[in-house]
Amino acid sequence: MSRARLHPAWGVAAMVAVAALLSVDALAARLPPELWLTALTAPDLADMRQLVARESFLPRLVVSILAGAALGLAGAVFQQVLRNPLASSTTLGVAAGARLALAVAGLWLPGVLTEGSEIVAFGGAAAALLLVLSIAWGRALSPLAVVIAGMAVSLAAGTAAAALVLFNEHYLTALFLWGGGSLSQQGWGTVWFLAPRLAAVALLVALMVRPLTLAGLDDGQARSLGLALGGARLVLLGLAVALAASVVSAVGVIGFVDLAAPTLAGLMGARTLRQRLLWAPLTGAALLWLTDQLLQRWAGPFGEMVPTGAVTALLGAPLLLVLLRRLAMTATPPRSAALPAARRSRRPWRSVGFFALLALVVIAATLVIGRGPDGIAVAGPDNLSALLPWRLPRIAAAFAAGAMLAAAGVLMQRLTGNPMASPEVLGISTGAALGLVLLLILVPAAGRSESLAAGAAGAFLALFAILSLARGSSFSPERVLIAGIALGAFFDALVVALMAAGDPRAQMLLAWLVGSTYRVGAGDALVTAGVAVALIALLPPMARWLDILPLGTATIRTLGLPLGASRLAVLLFSAVATATATLVVGPLSFVGLMAPHLARLAGLAQGLPQALGAALLGGTVMAMADWLGRLVSPTSAIPAGLMATLVGTPCLIWLLRRR
Amino acid sequence: MRRRQVLAALAGLALLPAAAPIPARRIVALDWGLAETLIAIGAPPVGVPETRTYADWVVSPALPPGTADVGLRVEPNLEILQQLAPDLILAIAEHETVRPLLERIAPVLSLPIYGPEGTPYTVAQAATRRLGAVTGRTAEAEALTLRAEETMASARARLTTSADARPVIVASFLDGRHVRIYARHGLFDAVLARIGLANAWQGPTNAWGFATVGLEALAEMPEARLVLLEPLPRETARTFRDSPLWNNLPMARDGRVLRLPPVLMFGTLPAAMRFCTLLTDALTGENGHG
Repeated sequence: MSRARLHPAWGVAAMVAVAALLSVDALAARLPPELWLTALTAPDLADMRQLVARESFLPRLVVSILAGAALGLAGAVFQQVLRNPLASSTTLGVAAGARLALAVAGLWLPGVLTEGSEIVAFGGAAAALLLVLSIAWGRALSPLAVVIAGMAVSLAAGTAAAALVLFNEHYLTALFLWGGGSLSQQGWGTVWFLAPRLAAVALLVALMVRPLTLAGLDDGQARSLGLALGGARLVLLGLAVALAASVVSAVGVIGFVDLAAPTLAGLMGARTLRQRLLWAPLTGAALLWLTDQLLQRWAGPFGEMVPTGAVTALLGAPLLLVLLRRLAMTATPPRSAALPAARRSRRPWRSVGFFALLALVVIAATLVIGRGPDGIAVAGPDNLSALLPWRLPRIAAAFAAGAMLAAAGVLMQRLTGNPMASPEVLGISTGAALGLVLLLILVPAAGRSESLAAGAAGAFLALFAILSLARGSSFSPERVLIAGIALGAFFDALVVALMAAGDPRAQMLLAWLVGSTYRVGAGDALVTAGVAVALIALLPPMARWLDILPLGTATIRTLGLPLGASRLAVLLFSAVATATATLVVGPLSFVGLMAPHLARLAGLAQGLPQALGAALLGGTVMAMADWLGRLVSPTSAIPAGLMATLVGTPCLIWLLRRR
Repeated sequence: MRRRQVLAALAGLALLPAAAPIPARRIVALDWGLAETLIAIGAPPVGVPETRTYADWVVSPALPPGTADVGLRVEPNLEILQQLAPDLILAIAEHETVRPLLERIAPVLSLPIYGPEGTPYTVAQAATRRLGAVTGRTAEAEALTLRAEETMASARARLTTSADARPVIVASFLDGRHVRIYARHGLFDAVLARIGLANAWQGPTNAWGFATVGLEALAEMPEARLVLLEPLPRETARTFRDSPLWNNLPMARDGRVLRLPPVLMFGTLPAAMRFCTLLTDALTGENGHG
């Protein structure tokens, strides 16, 4: 077949054929074929076979098609409006925002949920999108920046949702089940909910094909054609968000279908916008229909415990990796060679000294002030000796972890020249998290030392995978970031699938995921602090690299620096620091992202002062987060990682919008 | 770990006051199931996790007023624990990772009730006796196991005289579309066996004795009676009103759905007795209406 004759219809037809065969086979197993017409036209609902076929199997099938089509359309619109082949409700944080909003409403405004869940989901989704766009605004909404911001917002929303479950496990057991997007149906209600919304949005998008085409041009071209793009873009984005939010409120989060569908449609030959708008929804419908039928067929009696949405996310996350690599190779956005320095401090070491002093004061305060039986109290010399064994290891470990994440963040940002880079997107913390999850599944009563070993093994496996992925390109910055992001998305899907099974052990995993220093003993604290000190001591010999690496490949070669070796050293440093820190504060905190910017804003422009200043600030922030988390609630500490995320996200937005 | 246990046992024999004093007076129970057994044998714990939610999900036996809230089940607040100065901490398998921390406060006794091999009722009986020995209330513990047996036996007698002893499904709603069904390896399943009722759900379950399924799975057992544990999520109101599948299930159509007040699904003997009594009352009361 010649390339010119490649048409999306062939691929879609093939998927539909397989899905239809599977569906017919599955339906035949539930209901003899001679009764099919009866079940549709004049059903005898007292016959359980007819009842299940008519009110559960068929609506589930139709919902899978409708939801797939809706997501495919939303994805195509997102990609066109944002001129970003990676945009989708998953990568933009839209789905995660909707899910978090529904969780919050479920907890504090349960009355709203019975009838108004769609509005709540839309609000959360829109807020997440605005957040992502405002974060990436400073980088002119470059595709990679938008996706990194989107995945960061997704992870933050996921962390907040996890914390809600942790504190209210008995009330929100359904949250994770539903976060995985189960398609199970018991009537046609969801069909009648989704169908008109899909039809309305499809019609409106069809009416707006012209502005949508122009939205794909850049602003200058569009304006010269006389189109006020701002308004049109906003309306189109709003439509896509509404569609994605209605899917989330109807069946939960179905990950990555809206990324995969437009991409597949494109690969199968949908070139023009009109073609993509037609074939992306059809591809999405076929894709989700097929996935759901395969899942129902092979998941057996546990089918319901593995929600379809978690499966699509598990399958879709690697696709992100492929896509990102293609993007990085073909259309790397131009980036400034060096990080924009704020006002440059003339005496950087004085600032570093000041941060060290600040760190000491904060540590002293966190050790002395705490919550007693009668509220917040300052410990006197008499009871301090009883309290220190509890407080010191946690504070020491939190400080060391924050310092290591911050130092790794400086290194990552200098290596990649990307201000959004951080250990959180490096993928090492995700690797550690995967190791711990697997241990939890395989060994029911694993102790602390086994957890540490499994986490470290996962971290180093992730490092190995990233190094081998990146080797071909002399550790090109984009590839390293990309691998981390894809790994993070994969991990998120895996966690959702596990939580959905309702395993009570998941509570412990949750506690760690949101960054609790609870399990840190004196031994762990010593090890963490030891690694931190050793790593920080390695920074001065690396000072020259830190200053030169941001200058770009050509400059480095001219200066005669061993490119591969220096990048490898920086990566290894970041990996060890991140793995150690992650085992203490969980895979997410944003301290590694935040602290380097704080140091830079304080005028620390050169590599070594910035790294040391960031390490001190990162440690201080994490120690304060851990301490505040324990001050806020009388009995249950808010985990340090979560507190740092809560503080870090607005801080990050402020930082990046200022630029 | 094993060496440590042996050493602890030896230390317990040699230096009783240095390890857990017997009888233990100030006990923190990090598991609600163990807490309810302690209350039932008259040795209430001084501290329990999440006391506010305990009242919603366990209901009875109620915590004595003044029981300290020690924080989250998986992460009890260590500073509060230390200030409570317990002489024994009761834990389950999930607490193994925090055991070293807990042992700095007081000796830890781990009595897991649920596990992949579990028959929770018998394990709970053994745990009750063990708790009786630890608290110096062996007679009360023995009385509790006997009382549980009597409750089961009298329920069985009450039910055999009533005609309708069809199989039951015990479930709780997770949202509007999914249920947890309690069956093999679960406490309620053991109670059903003891009172002579068949559990209609014979499908696979996890180590805690439940399966998570879509509501349509109930259609596989159309003749069963459905026992729903409260609290029901709000979304179920819409399911009961609008869902054609639900409203055509024979159990819903013919009024064979019972609602029971909350009972701790991961509980011990008191939860088993509470479930048994609530279920039997509901079943016989329903039969009384005709």
